[in-house]
Amino acid sequence: MRMSIKLTTQAYCKMLLHAAKYPHCAVNGLLVAEKQKEKKKDSHSTPILCVDCIPLFHGTLALAPMLEVALTLIDTWCKENKYVIAGYYQANERTKDFRPNQVAEKVGARIAENFSEAAMIMVDSTRFTMGCYEPILAIYDHHENKWKCRDCNADCFEDWCEAQKITSALLEGRSYESLIDFDNHLDDLRNDWTNPEINKSVLHLC
Amino acid sequence: MASVSEMYDVTWEEMRDKLRKWREDNHRNSEQIVDVGEELINEHASKLGDDIWIIYEQVMIAALDCSRDDLAWAARKRKISILKAQGKSAEAIRELNEYLEQFVGDQEAWHELSELYINEHDYGKAAFCLEELMMTNPHNHLYCEQYAEVKYTQGGLENLELSRKYFAQALKLNNRNMRALFGLYMSASHIAASPKVNATVKKANVKYATWATNQINRAYQLAGRGTKENKCSVKAVEEMLESITMS
Repeated sequence: MRMSIKLTTQAYCKMLLHAAKYPHCAVNGLLVAEKQKEKKKDSHSTPILCVDCIPLFHGTLALAPMLEVALTLIDTWCKENKYVIAGYYQANERTKDFRPNQVAEKVGARIAENFSEAAMIMVDSTRFTMGCYEPILAIYDHHENKWKCRDCNADCFEDWCEAQKITSALLEGRSYESLIDFDNHLDDLRNDWTNPEINKSVLHLC
Repeated sequence: MASVSEMYDVTWEEMRDKLRKWREDNHRNSEQIVDVGEELINEHASKLGDDIWIIYEQVMIAALDCSRDDLAWAARKRKISILKAQGKSAEAIRELNEYLEQFVGDQEAWHELSELYINEHDYGKAAFCLEELMMTNPHNHLYCEQYAEVKYTQGGLENLELSRKYFAQALKLNNRNMRALFGLYMSASHIAASPKVNATVKKANVKYATWATNQINRAYQLAGRGTKENKCSVKAVEEMLESITMS
């Protein structure tokens, strides 16, 4: 029985804000979950909750060095905060094809090495609307070295109504203009990729 | 200046059909084609459907006849952008290559081509494009740094050493380029950790990597707000330094 993945509002929000900030580019990032203390006997029924999202890059995603740097630094940050890297998301440039490509599979496989229930999420930018009326994600689980697509519906969220409402509000309020990804951080180290201001806005609207 | 549609009282459909007739009859009335075609492209592009490709070609050839380089260039670039947006990378690459044979000095085009190749994982050809850019822009630290990233991604000891050299060069040109600094650290560490290098090379690369780590540390301190995130990055950097000196 596969452990399903669930997203909090904060995680979903920041993913979509990242895609909204760079509508003409491909974007990608990581999802983090709280580290499970010990494997309980009934752990198979508890879904993995992705509590936060770290936006990584925009534009050219297929180069290795900065991705390695990001993974190393974020891994350390995770250890400090008792998180674990649990997933990877990617939104392709506005093409009709939103299946995982080579980059997504590579990074996904790397994450799955350290976290067997890793999920890969592809964001379908073509269905992007300000109102966020439906979840625009395709979730893939790693199964026998292949990525299998799972149906994405309201069950994949901790609280879909809340996620929909808050994401829509932040999009309308253009919060994406202040979203920081790892690329922005490399341009200026003072840019904070944990996005504390946006986290505050999400909390404020809850 | 009155538009063609105003002067001759024609609709866009009639303009399109006229262009088709001129194509079929092989008319070389380039000035007329340019006038009609330019307006059609600028005002009615979205209505033309698949015809737009052949119209772009026709206008481009006519434009070159009339020494309207700007129009020829614009039509070509437009076509390439549309191909990219449609996900037709192979065609976009082919068109860009053809374009660059004529307009060899167009930096933006070389850069776009390098990006297209990177997305197709054709790192060798991407490197070639960046080499062109570095040749004509020897002081541009961004091209140096991007070239280094491509070489690093290609992998293998030789490419890693090349990438380290170009990261270093980018830093010489701009000592605040963080990507170059991190890149120097990563490439030097990987070389030092490789079983294929002798002790001298290893020692030298450990030295480069250590230097880079210290510079990275300094950069984070300078940016220092002492926030939680910053402390973590500094910690990660310190851990990186430890891993180097241990090996």
